[in-house]
Amino acid sequence: MTKVLTIDKSTPDGLKELLRFLLDNGKVKGVLTLRRTGEDGAVSYSLITDSAGVEAAVPLFPLMPVNLAKQLSLLTLQEAATEPIAVVLRPCELRAFIELVKRTQANVENILFISSTCPGVYPLKMAAEGDIEQHLPQYWKAVAQAQLVPDVRLACQACEYFVPYTADITVSLLGSMRVDRETTLFLNNERAELIVNGMSGKLSEEEADGAIIEQIRTKRKAEKDKLSDEVELNNLGIAELTETFSRCIGCRNCSKVCPACYCHMCFFETEAAGHPPLFYETQLDKTGCVNMLSDTTFYHLVRLFHVGASCTGCGQCGDVCPANIPLWAISLKVGGAVQKAFDYVPGKSIEEGLPITTFAPEEFAGVV
Amino acid sequence: MSSSRKGATLVAEDGVEKAVLGFARQALKKGAFDAVLIPCRVPAGDSFAYHLVGNEAALEGASPLPPIMPVQGARVISSITRRGKGRRKIAAIVRPCEARAAIELAKLGQVNLENITIITMDCPGVMPLSDYFEDAGKGDKVFDDAARKWNTEPMRPVCKICDNLSSTGGEDLHIAKMGTKSGNILLIPRSTKGEDALSKTGLSIEEDVTDWEASVNKLTEQRKQKRGQSNDALRSDIEGIERLTQAFSACINCHNCMRVCPICYCRQCHFDSDKMKFSFEDYLARAEARGGLKIPTDTLLFHIGRMLHMSLSCVSCGMCEDACPTAIPVAQIFTLVGDRNREAFDYMPGRSVDEPLPLTTFEREEFEEVEQSHAEVLAKQES
Repeated sequence: MTKVLTIDKSTPDGLKELLRFLLDNGKVKGVLTLRRTGEDGAVSYSLITDSAGVEAAVPLFPLMPVNLAKQLSLLTLQEAATEPIAVVLRPCELRAFIELVKRTQANVENILFISSTCPGVYPLKMAAEGDIEQHLPQYWKAVAQAQLVPDVRLACQACEYFVPYTADITVSLLGSMRVDRETTLFLNNERAELIVNGMSGKLSEEEADGAIIEQIRTKRKAEKDKLSDEVELNNLGIAELTETFSRCIGCRNCSKVCPACYCHMCFFETEAAGHPPLFYETQLDKTGCVNMLSDTTFYHLVRLFHVGASCTGCGQCGDVCPANIPLWAISLKVGGAVQKAFDYVPGKSIEEGLPITTFAPEEFAGVV
Repeated sequence: MSSSRKGATLVAEDGVEKAVLGFARQALKKGAFDAVLIPCRVPAGDSFAYHLVGNEAALEGASPLPPIMPVQGARVISSITRRGKGRRKIAAIVRPCEARAAIELAKLGQVNLENITIITMDCPGVMPLSDYFEDAGKGDKVFDDAARKWNTEPMRPVCKICDNLSSTGGEDLHIAKMGTKSGNILLIPRSTKGEDALSKTGLSIEEDVTDWEASVNKLTEQRKQKRGQSNDALRSDIEGIERLTQAFSACINCHNCMRVCPICYCRQCHFDSDKMKFSFEDYLARAEARGGLKIPTDTLLFHIGRMLHMSLSCVSCGMCEDACPTAIPVAQIFTLVGDRNREAFDYMPGRSVDEPLPLTTFEREEFEEVEQSHAEVLAKQES
């Protein structure tokens, strides 16, 4: 049984009340959450330190402008948070952050993690076209009824990890029939119980509805299989991969927005990855024709190799690709296979070692 | 603008692309060049990539005038010659804005043009990548139709207002289509390199180019007007720090505009460096000073910094805008700001490799009006 705090307000408003409470009572010095920053309704993350600033917050707005794990890594790279802050983020962002902590790119101390059972987020393109607002009624209806939300990122439609693992507080969204009137906060540990102490609301003990979770998971799995078929992921041999990536323009934006790609300088952008004229001349003599965008498949394979085990399927890569390559699906497939082989769920636990940092003498006998 | 008032005629009964490929084939055969740098359709058929082609047979899959610009050609020329001139003579068949960017990069020490012959064409513009990738087959048709009529409707927003769509003088050889006799194109040399290429290929330079010049001048005038109107309209949307902040409010700080920009050549941008990574206390202090701090931080500073660094050399190719995941009109904003800056220095990027970059020249007497106002500001502060 988990302690649950119920607030008599719609879930977005109840969550804002919690954030205000935390700031007003000095429980945290800042809250990091989505907020409207533009007159045109643009939404971005914001570190809010004044509770009046919470008014413009939209903590559950279905958009991921950036994967917050990457930003939170930047905030805690040089030193752990010196003051307590609360962060509202999606389960995949939280998992990605935990992976970055394991890779010593972030610090988990002094951060209160508030996450939710996640319905998914809309593509960045929809935000750019200003179409999200009109989708919101449909979004919240589907959320309350535990249905798959149409038009969210394909990565979200295929996501099975919509229940956060290491959140201190979990906001109940999926299947919360009273989401427009009520806020249900699962207080997952003692720290969460302590920090909400003094907040008005009804305390009880409950168990998350496992049946609803299972039902959604089954739907998402079916969706994942369907999408896999649609992007023809079942026979990704080298010929298919080359063809898939042949549209790549080499901008590397997939790596720039990826929370798992943390290298400060990617190998493919170093001097070592460039070539002197002699290289091209030799190629020219050998083949008579040199593709000047030749290293794209190589780049993507290396990236998959490096981040596959830690990929949390957030879908940011696919969303920013100027060539519409279904990168999210490829990462999900390759990452999923690696994760399965190592029986590893990225970001599930902070104690669990990264697969390539652990060694068991008897493993993968079939490969060796 | 012309160093030569004459050009060589080429029969183009099967279209400009075929004629250009025919010329390239002939030039390779006659040893005018060792290789041609040219866009080719990728195996999947739905995009194009620059290829360095050394044999005539491989030119079969080339498309000198593709409907899209997936990579800015100047970047490709830079990746071949950045470490030296090489031993092969290469003809680079590129769009006018790619040629101009390559010339800017030569001035910036990122391109070596010694063994490169730049060949440009009258340019109908290119389609936005996202439009084309939605349905490449349809995109090919839309582009062909529009290109034939010089209709810029389906093209990049900055292509619609491009007033450097033809020869701009910095290239070695220009392929003229506009206003030429039906079924013909003209190869107009713009440098001795260009003249050599034509004579080695066995083409004589005797056709008058007046009609082409008149057509180009007419369209250029129209475009200049359109550009002015477009700039004016945009100015009211972005002028002033508040409006500018608003214009970039959807920026996710991915820096993809910079990464696809031909002029932004820094190996590591200051904004990606450790200099822009701060301690938690710094971030918190900034947030506390205003009650809140947008994350990611410093997005507008990045764009202003980039503007300051590259806008004088900006050729308005539109790559930045195409690569932006949140559809910010980056290229249009940079065009507006760049036009103003370039006017102040009477500078046109890529016009000539011998024209120095404005920031590398200094005149004692220039920009007195700027100094004056600064002095006044200082005097006011002191009094």
